[in-house]
Amino acid sequence: MKRKKKKVNLTHLVFIAPHMIIFIVFIVIPIFFGIYVSFTKWDLIGTPQWVGLDNYKEILFNTKSTFNRQFFDGLKNTVLFVIFNVPLCIVVPLAFALVLHIRPLGSKIYQSVLYLPTLFSITSVGLIWIQLLNRRFGLASVMGAKVQWAITMPYAWIALMIMTVWWTMGSNMVIYQAALGSVPKEEYEAAEMDGAGWFTKLVKITIPSIRFQLLYTLVITIAGSFNVYGQPTIMTRVDLGAGPKINVLVQYIRSIAFGSGQSAAGIASAMAVILGLFITIVSIIQFKMIRSED
Amino acid sequence: MKKGFLKRLIAPAILGVICLIWILPIAYGVLSSFKSEVEIKDTRFHFIPETWTLDNYKYILENSGNTPIIKWFMNSFLIAVITSVGVALIISLAAYGYTRIKWEYRDQVFYIVLALSFFPQIINIIPLYKIVDTLGWVNKMPAAIVPALASVTNLFLVRQFMLGIPIEFDEAARIDGANDFMIYSRVIMPMLKPVMTVVILFTFTGQWNDLLWPSIVFNDVQKMPLTPGLQLLMGAYGNFNTAPVITAAMISIVPTFILYLFTQKYFLQSLSLSSGVKG
Repeated sequence: MKRKKKKVNLTHLVFIAPHMIIFIVFIVIPIFFGIYVSFTKWDLIGTPQWVGLDNYKEILFNTKSTFNRQFFDGLKNTVLFVIFNVPLCIVVPLAFALVLHIRPLGSKIYQSVLYLPTLFSITSVGLIWIQLLNRRFGLASVMGAKVQWAITMPYAWIALMIMTVWWTMGSNMVIYQAALGSVPKEEYEAAEMDGAGWFTKLVKITIPSIRFQLLYTLVITIAGSFNVYGQPTIMTRVDLGAGPKINVLVQYIRSIAFGSGQSAAGIASAMAVILGLFITIVSIIQFKMIRSED
Repeated sequence: MKKGFLKRLIAPAILGVICLIWILPIAYGVLSSFKSEVEIKDTRFHFIPETWTLDNYKYILENSGNTPIIKWFMNSFLIAVITSVGVALIISLAAYGYTRIKWEYRDQVFYIVLALSFFPQIINIIPLYKIVDTLGWVNKMPAAIVPALASVTNLFLVRQFMLGIPIEFDEAARIDGANDFMIYSRVIMPMLKPVMTVVILFTFTGQWNDLLWPSIVFNDVQKMPLTPGLQLLMGAYGNFNTAPVITAAMISIVPTFILYLFTQKYFLQSLSLSSGVKG
């Protein structure tokens, strides 16, 4: 049989290949390798030894294990962080975007100021905040702080949330601003003719019009919050190690895999996979919820 | 009438107060970089330096031994610039391939890439270290640069933007005898300016400020970028010389701030993710 000759155009491969190759080598392979490692005993150097579900059992059920204690402490703090952070990082930037959208005097300057903190690294941001919050010589001393806020509950949580919202809020804000800019003006005018107030307009027109951006930011913010690392890492670097600290899951995963002493990369990977499952499940639920609305 | 009042007085007033509070920590940081160590640790809190000094800046410029802040700054700068240029090139090429050329399973492939990118990064960080180590990149710049080139968020952003460019532009160029590479470089690329500026800003800022990954792949003090370097300076329990460290932190915010000033006007234009999604 003669092979059918079909002219195959492979130009598209030239365009997508550079990205695709890097994506496969540095993202796809590590994901699957990471899931595999979670079923092994591995010290990052030798060959991973298959141990089945042992890592998961140790983390979840062996109450005598340090890994078990670290996992649940990290999980508790991570989940708390998500619960506090997500509503704040949606509502606060949305409120700012709505106010900026009416173009008040000087809105350009205000937008820049509100966006400014997102440009800085967490080490710079954290450094400034732990100085401000220092009980002995910071702004906190003027405000009459009796304890070291960064390591005393519940102040540590309040400080962490204020710092996080201040630092990250801007990136969602600009997405909402862009979205609000593309809502057709006619819809508002029609609603105004019907005598709708600002709240009715917000719920009936604005929110539905920017639904896609709200979903997008919600997914990104939740995933980002589960992956929180920088803020608690820097914040706990205050004063001598006393007091209860907020340690999140990623901090434990990092120190178990890359900390001093022998690496337990298998255990760390299993923790990462569980954290990953959380994020994936929450994201899927969100997509489902939005879809069922249609 | 009512609306004008809100627009001209109430909203600006409230925003003004909030913005003053918002900028206060930054102002405190900047002012503190001109204070002496003694003054920063003075138990009477003062916002503005009592005696202005440039000692902290001198210390940073002169010290290159155990705290090579200038070296860190240059390391960060190189990493951020090379990544930004690489991302701009690789992502725009890929976005062209996913929008302007028709091929079988194109959109399916893109959605698989997108879905895989939603996998939490924390799972791949341990194997990624092993791969980077095997390639001999530990303590070398490619470790920070190359994995960042595969960014899917940026690909998504550029693809959305490209979907909004009418296909008639390509068709007109094709009639004039242009091939895909000419259309990419002469027709599409120039139109991508707004979204590319934002992608570059995001990439540069992301690389400049990244902490977790560089703190894993760089352990040689001389090779380190600025952000993990500053963390190192803060020591394990915060027993550090505050004045020079806070000064270094203030220097570290300069490049991203300047870049923002230049890219600001393209911002909102490129972030309306809606084009091509509605419908």
